Amino acid sequence: MASISIRNLVKRYGNFTVIPDLNLEIADHEFVVFVGPSGCGKSTLLRIIAGLEPISSGDLYIGDKRVNGVRAAQRDIAMVFQDYALYPHMRVYDNMSFALELRGTPKAEIDARVKRAAALLHIEPYLDRKPKELSGGQRQRVAMGRAIVRNPKAFLFDEPLSNLDAKLRGQVRAEIKALSQELKTTMVFVTHDQIEAMTMADRIVVLQSGTILQYDTPETVYERPANQFVAGFIGSPAMNFFPVEWRDERAILSQGATAVPLDGETAGRLRQPGNAVLGIRPEHFAVVTDADGIAINVKLVEPLGSDTLLHFDLANVSAIARVDPSLRPKIGDRLSLRPQPGKTHLFDAANGQVLR
Amino acid sequence: MNDAANTDRWIRWLNTLQLVLAGVLIMAPTVWMVLSSFKPSFEVTAYPPTLIFSPTLENYVELTRTTPFLSYALNSLVVTVGSTALGLLFGIPAAFAVSWTRISWPAILTLAARMAPGTLFLLPWYVMFRQIGMIGSYTALILSHAVITLPIVIWVLLPSFDAIPRSVFEAAQVDGCSVTRILWRIAMPLVASGIAVSAILAFVFSWNYFLFALVLSNGDTKTLIAAAFNFIGEGSTQWGALMAAATLIALPPLVLAALVQRWLVSGLTLGAVKG
Repeated sequence: MASISIRNLVKRYGNFTVIPDLNLEIADHEFVVFVGPSGCGKSTLLRIIAGLEPISSGDLYIGDKRVNGVRAAQRDIAMVFQDYALYPHMRVYDNMSFALELRGTPKAEIDARVKRAAALLHIEPYLDRKPKELSGGQRQRVAMGRAIVRNPKAFLFDEPLSNLDAKLRGQVRAEIKALSQELKTTMVFVTHDQIEAMTMADRIVVLQSGTILQYDTPETVYERPANQFVAGFIGSPAMNFFPVEWRDERAILSQGATAVPLDGETAGRLRQPGNAVLGIRPEHFAVVTDADGIAINVKLVEPLGSDTLLHFDLANVSAIARVDPSLRPKIGDRLSLRPQPGKTHLFDAANGQVLR
Repeated sequence: MNDAANTDRWIRWLNTLQLVLAGVLIMAPTVWMVLSSFKPSFEVTAYPPTLIFSPTLENYVELTRTTPFLSYALNSLVVTVGSTALGLLFGIPAAFAVSWTRISWPAILTLAARMAPGTLFLLPWYVMFRQIGMIGSYTALILSHAVITLPIVIWVLLPSFDAIPRSVFEAAQVDGCSVTRILWRIAMPLVASGIAVSAILAFVFSWNYFLFALVLSNGDTKTLIAAAFNFIGEGSTQWGALMAAATLIALPPLVLAALVQRWLVSGLTLGAVKG
């Protein structure tokens, strides 16, 4: 168990800079998720921590030890790969015991640790099988088992759920979360799926173009996104964005001149710059009957069971609202929506930074 | 529907015809060689060739009477096994290194050496081995035959190594393996059939290679194939004995290939289909 500290890290491939200058502190026992779109550098960063990619400049510490030039084999970290990367010619048992055997762990201890991990992951019946005789979910568990038998300083997960079907993904997600609480080891998890990030992380690192846009708890990242990119990336369906102006002591959507009823605090933040981008999450629209709401025409209805998604156009923007399914809306219905007080976000129209 | 069935039948028929023609073309010299080895010496060169004849072992008796056949066979075995082992010893790590580093020029270099005519090497080698007193030694023959076996091993194994997902090697690195250990514990077991195939091909090519043994061997280390050349004289050629020798020389590679035929094909296409 150890903290991970990244200081002024730069990663280049030839002339192409993947990570320009990155600083990150991951505390001991913490479960941190790197999330971001494809090509944002999250997997590269994980592979740098693992020792599978060299650092162009900067420092990397695992615990108190600077590990820049230390080979992966000597970093004492475990990694679960996207394609599981099990050794095809070895039985499940041997896959799990291999790393311990390399370290010269006594046979009895290897056996005990493999069996304990197998019990924890419910893979005891498969210990004598080869990986090709297992399903995707079982292989995924073996890959995790191979990692946990070692009691490493940190676990690294490189999109380990992306090859599983939706149901299994939800199940394994919960299991990894439970495992992290049981093992109390530093965990770094890479995903492009913001639901995985939200449900599992103690803290989320949102990355774009090799730069950290926000590093905070899932609640903070969701409720107080640092900028428009984070606001749009975290949350599903994504946050709706509308260009907005302060005109005649009212907030007006720039396209179409529709007035938006904002709470006093948000209106105060908009008043000074005069224009901004207004962000409203689909779940933060309330259906109202009074005339103060924004009138919309329902374009599409997506019933999800627990709630219903309404698609509509507002001020030349395709937007979504999440409403109570008991409303039973239909395509073409005219409804009145109102942003919930204190739940709207304003972003600088020029640089996307949040206006506070 | 009927048209499609007819077309299919035609295609099948043409395929069979092609295979039969190819088979005849490939097998005819072999069959001719084997039949000739059992013909009385005067019938071997008869024209038109006879298909009905009274088989005799006279050529085989002549072969063993006039030449130390077993001793030549042993020489061939030593040189072939030695050069195949040498090819595997250096070829396996070389192929792995090329696959690992993705630097392919060393592999291309060995291929170029294999493509070059053997005569190109012959003179420098003859001079070199003579200066260090190794002409006629097994070592010289084994080393020279490694030029045949090494590229085979490298190029048969390269696609097999390439077909192993990179993440498997990375998992081994994270687990604590050095590169050497990854080769030994992870990569080699995964390409075992490729190694067997490359070993068999290297064996066959080395066994059949004629030129280096002709020049670099002496009476004690002459290989079978070089010794068979002795039956071709300036004035006359002992066709019967030559055919008997050729039949015996062809036996080990044929038997080997027949034994591992299915494995050979799957091993050669392993890299292509796994990736």
